[in-house]
Order: sequence, then C-alpha cells, then structure tokens
Amino acid sequence: MSPSRRRQANPHLGAYYGILTSAFVSLVVSLAMFEQLGWQEMWVARAMILVPLALYLVIALGARTLDVEDFFASGRRVPPVYNGAVLAAVLIGGTGFFAYTGTLFFLGFDALAIGLAWTAGLIVSGILFVPYLRKAGAYTMPALLGQRFRSRIVRAIASVLQLPPASLLLAAEIKVAALILAMFLPLSHQLAVACVAIIIACVTIVGGMRSLTWSASAQFVVSAVGFAVPLIIVSVLLTNLPAPQLTYGEMFESLKRLEIVTGVSPSAPSELATALPREQPRPSAKPFLQAFGAISQIDFLTLFLCLTLGAAALPSLLARSDVTSSVADQRRSVAWGVFFVALFAISAPALAAFVRLLMFQDIAQAPANALPSWLNDLSAYRLLFTKDANTDGAIEATELFVARDGIVLALPMAARLPFVCTVLTAAAGLAIALAAAASHLFTLAGSIADDVIRLVDPRSEVLPRLMVAWVAIAATALAAGVFLAFAEIDVMQVAIMAFASAAAIFFPVLLLAIWWRRCNWLGAMLALGLGFATMAAAIAFGGAPIVGQFRLTTVFGALIGTALGLIGGLIGSLLGPKPTPVEQAYFEELRDPSGDALYDRAQRRAAATASQ
Amino acid sequence: MSEQPGRDRHRWKTFSLAIATLIIVFAAVAAVVAFAGQLDKIGFLRFPLGFYLMAQGLLIGMVAVAFWWTRVQERIDRSFSEGEEI
Repeated sequence: MSPSRRRQANPHLGAYYGILTSAFVSLVVSLAMFEQLGWQEMWVARAMILVPLALYLVIALGARTLDVEDFFASGRRVPPVYNGAVLAAVLIGGTGFFAYTGTLFFLGFDALAIGLAWTAGLIVSGILFVPYLRKAGAYTMPALLGQRFRSRIVRAIASVLQLPPASLLLAAEIKVAALILAMFLPLSHQLAVACVAIIIACVTIVGGMRSLTWSASAQFVVSAVGFAVPLIIVSVLLTNLPAPQLTYGEMFESLKRLEIVTGVSPSAPSELATALPREQPRPSAKPFLQAFGAISQIDFLTLFLCLTLGAAALPSLLARSDVTSSVADQRRSVAWGVFFVALFAISAPALAAFVRLLMFQDIAQAPANALPSWLNDLSAYRLLFTKDANTDGAIEATELFVARDGIVLALPMAARLPFVCTVLTAAAGLAIALAAAASHLFTLAGSIADDVIRLVDPRSEVLPRLMVAWVAIAATALAAGVFLAFAEIDVMQVAIMAFASAAAIFFPVLLLAIWWRRCNWLGAMLALGLGFATMAAAIAFGGAPIVGQFRLTTVFGALIGTALGLIGGLIGSLLGPKPTPVEQAYFEELRDPSGDALYDRAQRRAAATASQ
Repeated sequence: MSEQPGRDRHRWKTFSLAIATLIIVFAAVAAVVAFAGQLDKIGFLRFPLGFYLMAQGLLIGMVAVAFWWTRVQERIDRSFSEGEEI
C-alpha cells in the first residue's frame, strides 16, 4: 500500500464543523434575544466579535503540530471540500467582502469583471498549475521551480519575488480586519492592527498550514453565515422570497425609477484607473444596470484578464496545492473552490442592488432636514454623509457620499434590521479577512524560511527547520503591523496591484516550467525578471504617460509583463543549455497523476540513504 | 516514433482537454462582453440578459465546466491505468 493511501482525513470533520456552525448560529440567536431584552449594542458587538475570535484561536491551538509535513502541507490529508472553502476564503478575502461589494454598488454592471475574473482565475490555475504542483509535492511554489530547474538561485529569486503580491495582499487584509476591530471594539487603529498581526501570527506559528487550514475553515463558515443571513432576510422583506440571487431582478424597475428621481443619469466611460472607486466616500453617479458606463469594453476585458491571470498564479493560492491526499483530490478541491467563489460572486450583486434600492428609496422620499435614522448611524461610523449642495431641501444621488467599504455593513442598517445583524456582518468580514491574512502571512514567511534561509543554512533537523519558520512568521507579521500602523493604503487598489504583480511575475514562468519541456533555468530567470521589471515600471510611473499618450497602468502593465515574461522565457530557454536528462525526467514525472508526490519520494530516498 | 504510445496519448488528451476548457471559458466571456449591449435588450428571469449572463450565467457555467473538467480528466487518467490514487 502506498503511503498516500494511508492519508485519511479525520472522519469526524463533518460533525465538528456541524457543531461549530450550530454553536455560531446559537450565538447569533442568543445575542439577538439579548438585544431585544435590552443589552447595550456595545456588549452585543463585543460578544459577536470576541467569541468567534476565541474560537479560531482554540481551533488553531487544537491543530498545533511539530511535524514538518503537517506544518507545511497540513499532512496532505485535507478533504477537497474544505480545501476548496479555504481557497475561496483566501481569494475573496476581506477585500472582496467589503471592497468588491462596494465597487459593485458604485459601478454596477462594470464591476462584474472582478467576480468573473476570480472565478475564471481559479479554473485556469486548476487546469494549468495545481495538479502538477500537487504531484511535485513541494511545500512552496518557488521550491517547485527550484526542483524543476535544479537551481537554488531560481528558487531563492522566486521566493523573494513573492514579496510584492503576498505582502500587498497581507497588508490589505490586515487593514480590513483592523478596521472592523477598531469600529466595534474600544481600540485605536494602531492597536487594532497590532491585535490582528498577533492573532494571525499565533494561528500560523502553532501549526503552520495545519492550524491555518482548520481555523480558516471555521472562518469560512462564519463568513458564509454572516454574509448570507442579512442578505436573505432583506430578500424576504423586499421580494417575499429567501433567494436573493433569483429575485433581485424584480427590483430593477423600481431601482431605475429611483435613479432617475435622484438624478443619476447614464455616464460615459472614463479611464480604468480613475473609474474604480476609492475608499473615501463619494457619490454614486452611474446607473446600476448601464453596461460599460464607467469603464469601456476594452478596459473591462483588460481588467478581467489581469485579475484572471493574477488569481491563476497567486502564490497564496498555489501554496495550498499540496494539502490534499492525491492529484485527483487536488483537482476536485479547485472545482469546489470555483463553486464557493462563484456563489459569492453571484450573491454580491444582489447585496449591492438591495443597498442601492434602500438608500435611494429613503433619500428620494425624505427632505434633507429629516433623513432616516440609519443615515445617522452610518455617519457615526464615517461610512456615509450627505450634503445638500444646491440647498433645494432634498438629497440627490450626487449629494449622498458613501464609503465603498461600508456597503455590506450598510445593508442591515438601511433595512432597519436589529443591530445584531450589523455586527454579524462585521464578524463575517473579519473572519474572511483573518483567513486570507493568515494565508498570505504563511505563504510569505514559510517561503522565506524554507526557500531562502535554508539555502544558506540547509540543516534538515526538524526543530531548527520549524524554528526558522516561526521566526520568519513573527518577523513578517511584525513588519506588516509596523508598516500598517503608519501607512495609508486603499485595499482595492492594493489588491489589484497584487493580482497584477502575480500575473506578470509568476504566470509566464509557471506556464513555461510546467508545460514546456525545453524551458531551462535561464528562461525561468528571464521570465521572472522581465515580469518583475515591467510591474516595477508600471507602479513607478503610476499610470502617467510614458510615450505620447501611452499609459502603463498597473492593469495594463500586468498583461505587458506577462507577454514579455513569456517571450523572455522562450528566448532564454532557446539560447540557454538544453535541459539535462534529470530535468526532463522530472518534467515527465510531473505529468504522471498516480503515485506519491515527487518530494515525498525524494525525502524517503534521502532518509534511506542516510540510514545505511 | 515514441516508445510509450500510451503515455503520449495520455499527455495529448490532457493537453487537448486543458486547451478546450480554457477556450470554452474565455470565448464565453469574450462573447458576452462583445454583445452585452444587444443582449441587455432581451429579458430573462426579469434581468436584462447581458447583465444576467455576467452576474450569474457565466459563473454558473464556469462551475459546471470546472466539475466537468475534473470528471473528464479523471476518466482520462483512469483509462490509461495511471490513476491509482483516484
């Protein structure tokens, strides 16, 4: 019997997560009752945020490990559905939960490119990369490149180049989580950032990928419940049916009428960089259903392609490619991931449409000096303000300034649901942001520890190897916390930059390494270098004209970087030496879906040799 | 001529399936983006069709394609007795 046959998942997992879900639902119901019995909102919020946080830490502690395979690959026995759920949580993250839904509120149709791209990106990743990464069994994506080209330099460079995408996303997710903590707990922004950094560092240090997987699965459950419950309640209130995805189309006639009443008129597309809403409150000036009213068709496709390639080559997703028991299970986990991401992407426009309808309904009916109370509640959280600029006594759409990242929280408030629904949504956003932040942290720190530091000090004893990882995780979390305590970032802009960097830097080299036998270390280095150089230029120029009217924006830079990386990889490989027989054999073995991971096989051979 | 025709056939089928799946996904997205304006004039489940396809139709299609690809690839692996782990 092969060792992978013995990799059995815990048969009680379903029961554990069923109990967890029931416990969380019970907490929500209890707090809803306590609120009605007169509990102060402050205590309801603290209980809803802190109890799940304690739960995540307990789960992480329960999944602690000192075993290297558990620490880096979760023992290679995560069932496909759970891995799919965590893949979806990492891909969507707090950025998707808050900023994507906000972007949908402002841009309507035009923002759908983002949800489509995340779903398509996961499919592309599953088809082109994931099964081969699983077969390789390397603990990190740079390790696969290092083994494929028999080059420690390629491995170290790839590890360092993971910094742009993974650290940008890490910063964005920590910021989202800290915003929620500072909003509902008596914490300053700096203290909230420190708390988030400590929580994610603790979760990843105690059990690496293992504790990360099981706490992230719990966080996925909490985020799904917290996103779905208020949305379903509002759907029942507005359409009498608990299926918002099917019924929000009924609202479109009312929404169109309200948009006309509040002065929203069809708009002409502008440049992508300026069309995407920033985090500062701004009015919504584009009709929800108008196609390509904010960005042109070409920009829509460019954004779609950039995010698709970025999601396909995102290091934090690829780092989860070796946690299931077989290549086939890894493929199934991608399919489940696609399902969960698509479910979110299908539901998010319904939420944005409901918020838009409720907001416009109220401001269309109320005079400027007697606005509904939920507007004041949202103003207290600095998520919205109104300004009767033309002093006509009414608030129009152009006078209603809404913060992009507050749209999800605005739904229960605008629908006048009990306060517990608002904090439930906040707890859901916090959960998914923590899951994503911990994954980005582990990807970054795990790779630095295993691909760079071990290059200098390749000791193979168990404890030093894990100790290096612990130190790297703590140092990375500290660096991210210090950076965020002082820097101001826009989470959506930063996330797009991260996806663009992943596309330009890693998509070409992975494609060539996995699908082209002739590719060699020189081609890989050129592909990595050209992709990185293009993205560095795009970020440095910041979308300013370079030649004539040509602007190298981040999104466009990702596509140019991908193309240049592919060309560079092809030329470098053809000019460089032919792959050695060992490299060719590795390339062939990657394509054999049966048997053990190549890394495990090599480890066993090394252990047998050492024992002789 | 290759010494391992079975292995080559497996590689070729895997490659063809990958290309076909990617073409289906990207062609569907490109077609809907190209004709979104015209499709929006048609109603479907009370949605404009172009919006519906972008917001739901393509996503449902992608989920179906993902599970279909998984099944077909597993069949390809099994048929060449290379899917011992499946």
